[in-house]
Amino acid sequence: MFSKRAGLWLGLIATLGLLSLGSSCNNKGGGDEGAGTEGGGAAYASKGDEGTISGTIAFTGTAPENPKIDTSADAQCASKNPNLTAETWAVKDGKVANTFVYIKDGTLADGKKIGDLTGWPNMPSSATLDQNGCHYKPHVMGVVAKEEINITNSDPTTHNIHFTPAKNPDWNQSQPNGAAPMKHSLNTAEVMVPVKCNQHPWMKAYIGVMKHPFFAVSAENGSFTITGVPPGKYTVVAWHEAAAGPGTEKTMEVTVPAKGSATADFSFGASAGLQGQPSSLPMLAAIEFPMLHK
Amino acid sequence: MSKGVHRFALLVAVATFFLIIAGANVTSHDAGLAVPDWPLSFGKFFPKMVGNVFWEHGHRMIAASVGVLTIVLAIYLQVREPRRWVKRLGWMALGLVIVQGLLGGLTVKLLLPLAVSAAHATLAQLFFLTTVSIAVFTSRSWTNAEPKIFEDANGVSVRTLCVASLALILVQLVLGATLRHSATWDQLLPTGLLVAHITGAIIVTLALGVTAAGVLLRHRDEKFLTRPAIVALGLLFVQLMLGIAAYITRAASPYGAQPLNPMIAVTVAHVACGALVFAATILLTLRVFRVLQVESREVGALAPA
Repeated sequence: MFSKRAGLWLGLIATLGLLSLGSSCNNKGGGDEGAGTEGGGAAYASKGDEGTISGTIAFTGTAPENPKIDTSADAQCASKNPNLTAETWAVKDGKVANTFVYIKDGTLADGKKIGDLTGWPNMPSSATLDQNGCHYKPHVMGVVAKEEINITNSDPTTHNIHFTPAKNPDWNQSQPNGAAPMKHSLNTAEVMVPVKCNQHPWMKAYIGVMKHPFFAVSAENGSFTITGVPPGKYTVVAWHEAAAGPGTEKTMEVTVPAKGSATADFSFGASAGLQGQPSSLPMLAAIEFPMLHK
Repeated sequence: MSKGVHRFALLVAVATFFLIIAGANVTSHDAGLAVPDWPLSFGKFFPKMVGNVFWEHGHRMIAASVGVLTIVLAIYLQVREPRRWVKRLGWMALGLVIVQGLLGGLTVKLLLPLAVSAAHATLAQLFFLTTVSIAVFTSRSWTNAEPKIFEDANGVSVRTLCVASLALILVQLVLGATLRHSATWDQLLPTGLLVAHITGAIIVTLALGVTAAGVLLRHRDEKFLTRPAIVALGLLFVQLMLGIAAYITRAASPYGAQPLNPMIAVTVAHVACGALVFAATILLTLRVFRVLQVESREVGALAPA
């Protein structure tokens, strides 16, 4: 009934169909991932001797310039925020904002591992991410796993909020101007979850998802403070976004005394600012061929 | 042979080419999820075309138009085309465009999984190839051509070279589609896929170069064959230049604040030119099969009149 040619075409269509069905299986995220979610592990019992970790994020050298954004694709954006620039490096007087600082791991004074404990007091219950002036406010934020994120649209245009995590499920929703706040949560710890708007591709935000509440985002003057930290020895990490790639991390070991404070000052240099910048003519590495011997 | 059928088939092929350009713009602008619902857009047929909605919904509108044109073509062929296999090809084109539309919806519903997006991009090229083929089969030059050119049975036949080139171009298109959809404008392209695509470009250049050279050397007096061979070579050269430009602009893209027009223009042009190289090669291949016979074997082109 069908010619050979028709059979070939049908076979190709069937193969493509099977491929697309196979790819629809999503292995990401899910509530059963125990390693990164809250729940499980001994509960932390406060002794009232918690301290703080504080510090400043500095930039050494000349900070890279943030390019201006062309918002003409959406007149509402151009009108509300005509001088919009990228926010990759927010450096003022040598101090860096939007650096996510967190306790990666460590041991409390009583020998327990911080990653094994749950039931922390002062766990934040909700956070807000606002689309305002066609950029996200805040640009960088931290939440605990399963914390409710309220997403608001303060702009006279429609935004499309798209979470693009690696460990949590993808999430993509449209939010017209005037719409009610949307709520979303990320159940698995992940540093960092990029957020973007598919309608306005320059919009970017980053969310750090933690198992515990020991994190902070540096302010405009570069300062940060993490409170309620039990006495112990910890690995503290400062993460800053990069123009391309997963971002730059700096690590430091600190000891928090009982009812005391530890200082963790970080510095990002010009090399971090230029990290991964292409040379004037990006070239692939030369392919070496084996020498042929007579 | 109906001139009207041929002209309409050409119209569908040209419209499909513009649809490929529209689709490439969606990817280069990172507009694939600008409209989060399907088949409607924000629950409407005509949403406000701001920001990346312009590219995504614009693409959907052109796609719908091509779908309607393909329905008309299938019916037109059914009514006016005497050859049954050409009628069947028309219905096959309709089947392909329906699957393509469903794949497009699936990419949105599943949030752009790589395999589905790459399949959508590949099927676009295959559908384009089908519309070009229909235009070729309904052309007067095709129906007037006769299997009268003989080729020496010794050595690799031009037919084999053409089919091999076509297959290699298809593999290269799949690699290119997978590469494009593996990273958005603000991410670096994966090195492995990039190297594979560049290697594919070298292989396609060699294969198509040898094929075109074979046609030009062995059948230099046959304009029916030499013209598409020269066009394919010319397009291949342009495609290589566009490929280099696409690599340079795309490598710099993550360091910008947004997808910039030079990167968008060059990457879209690279996709479009790839489609044209594919089309020129299928034209050459079909014509070779139409008129070339191997001397010592039983004569007869594969494709009947």
